[in-house]
Amino acid sequence: MCPAREMQERESQNRLHHFEMLAGTEGHRKPRADPSRIVKEYSRPAAGKDSTNPSDLRPPAVLLKTVCYLIDDIAAAPALQPWSEVYSFVFDRLRGVKQDMIIQRVSGTECVAILERMVRFLIYASYRLCGEPLRLYDPKINETHLQENLSWLLDCYASGTGPHTNQDEFQALGLLYNLGSPRAMQHIMELPEELRSSPAISLALSVNQAFLERNPVRLLRLAQKLNFLQSCALHRHLVTCRKDLLLIYSHGFSSRNCRFPLDKLCQVLALDWSLTTQLCQTYGVEIKDNHVVFTKTAFTDPEQGKLQCLQYHNIVEEKQKDLTVRSIIHGST
Amino acid sequence: MAHITINQYLQQVYEAIDNRDGAFCAELLSFKHPHVANPRLQLSSPEEKCQQVLEPPYDEMVAAHLRCTYAVANHDFVEAYKFQTLVVQSFLRAFQSHKEENWALPLMFAVTLDLRIFANNAEQQLQKKGKGQPGEMMEKAAEQLMSCFRVCASDNRAGIEDSKKWGMMFLSNQLFKIYFKINKLHLCKPLIRAIDSSNLKNDYSPAQKVTYRYYVGRKAMFDSDFKPAEECLSYSFHHCHRSSQKNKRMILIYLLPVKMLLGHMPTPQLLKKYDLMQFSDVTKAVSEGNLLLLHNALTKHETFFIRCGIFLILEKLKIITYRNLFKKVYLLLKTHQLPLDAFLVALNMMQVEDVDVDEVQCILANLIYMVSPDPPDPMGVH
Repeated sequence: MCPAREMQERESQNRLHHFEMLAGTEGHRKPRADPSRIVKEYSRPAAGKDSTNPSDLRPPAVLLKTVCYLIDDIAAAPALQPWSEVYSFVFDRLRGVKQDMIIQRVSGTECVAILERMVRFLIYASYRLCGEPLRLYDPKINETHLQENLSWLLDCYASGTGPHTNQDEFQALGLLYNLGSPRAMQHIMELPEELRSSPAISLALSVNQAFLERNPVRLLRLAQKLNFLQSCALHRHLVTCRKDLLLIYSHGFSSRNCRFPLDKLCQVLALDWSLTTQLCQTYGVEIKDNHVVFTKTAFTDPEQGKLQCLQYHNIVEEKQKDLTVRSIIHGST
Repeated sequence: MAHITINQYLQQVYEAIDNRDGAFCAELLSFKHPHVANPRLQLSSPEEKCQQVLEPPYDEMVAAHLRCTYAVANHDFVEAYKFQTLVVQSFLRAFQSHKEENWALPLMFAVTLDLRIFANNAEQQLQKKGKGQPGEMMEKAAEQLMSCFRVCASDNRAGIEDSKKWGMMFLSNQLFKIYFKINKLHLCKPLIRAIDSSNLKNDYSPAQKVTYRYYVGRKAMFDSDFKPAEECLSYSFHHCHRSSQKNKRMILIYLLPVKMLLGHMPTPQLLKKYDLMQFSDVTKAVSEGNLLLLHNALTKHETFFIRCGIFLILEKLKIITYRNLFKKVYLLLKTHQLPLDAFLVALNMMQVEDVDVDEVQCILANLIYMVSPDPPDPMGVH
């Protein structure tokens, strides 16, 4: 998984990640590399650097094995903690894999298999690491890579000769992640009818439709039907969705004498009693003895950083049940 | 003209350049002109002849043009595209050396137009053989057009009359055509900004302005900026030449949905006149508040709407349809307090699936929010 030259170089420069060290040498002044665990790292292309040297490049089959190693032995290993460190290691090594793919212009089934796993990993990470401090996880960078991989994958589906058994899964994930984006929507609309009517894509389309109509009640209801990874993809829109609900209700039920039952609000927001109360307070919506009093003037946008998405994860959390990280990323949901 | 010899042709080119006759030059290098069908000019290696009569870089430009006519005669558009690129490149070299003069603009229009057309043809030819990435040729052609655009946009020294800036709108229109075709709409933005900040923007020819606003309108529509989209497309429609029925129809395909979203419904006569009956049931459904008919009309003409890229915009009409349906409920019950169940009955009648009172509340709240004095987005859609 790593060229011999890089292994020697990083060994001598003391630049081995501790996931790559030979067992028993970790404490040494110069730890040794474990050839079965060291993975070629990502290195930025620079002027004068020849990145096309065949002895430094891994053929597609090896790349796929590398990706599987990164998932099975690193990302899914319960012993390796904290997961944010696992993420930063896997993220960097996957980036290296992608670089090798680009240089060699890899295409075909192996390319699709690799990209699919990368996309699943990044979507899962966007949920699992949500709310981590910026130095450990940067949502923006994660998104950039996710979008790049996703659009490459969709290109593979469009130009490659199938069969692509997971295509519906990823088309749906792409739409859920990019809910309301004209580009993503137009892309889905141009798919063949047969694919578009697959259960995963039609559900994603309904969610998207609810989002466009600004019908958060329907959206949250449909969200219950999504599987775990689909919920992860959707999860970044849930904050907006709940905000929309409080916003439009603040206008629709704006009356001093109107009392909206708190239980009902909990139910449509898909949140428990205390989280609903907390969310209302964040947006300045008043609660009086188990009833919500909506007034359009009271609704305020919270200060940046005051609302933590992490606290409202229950709708996704419930779905993970006994799914392992391994099965999530390999795709047996 | 159609059967002149190579020497006569070169002599004409020489004189046209010498006289700075841009219009005639353009004819002599355009594929719209009959000389391209003249077999005496379709040469596979005209370089030497051209060098004898013309100065560089004009000799190269004309030689490439003649080789291009040869390729077109053989129906080889990949080859034709290659030579047309050369034509544009050598033209650009000459053009850059024209200080404070812009007589060659018509020539630029002719050669860049042909470049785009050949790129398109070449791509189709390659696709048929299963070669090449889709959009590859078009993208390369766009790069060439961009280098012309840069030369025009950076001509700051010449006076208004002699400015190369007069070429900017034509080039952006050509570039828009490519960007819309290869689905790279984000690339339109810098062009629009360049034209918008130019003091000539209202003085280009009407034809160019109609095309320009058509694409700017479509771009705004894609970004869900419906108000500017409506302004641009209306301008295009009203200023488009009355004999260009086909173009007017194309503009309407985008203007109608935007107008409908803003609450203006087209008349049946208009739809009939421009053969746009696909919109007829949609219009009827929205004004009657007939959700079921809207759903059916969209399904029936789905392929057409998707191909034009307006399906999702038409789906947004659902919100207005809700409003019109609910207004009927009010008119029927004639009271100021309406039970939510009445709305639910109306929705069920329209076969809206698994909807309940909670959702009715949400839809109503959204409608109220949209008409409240200060909603951030009057269309009610993100």
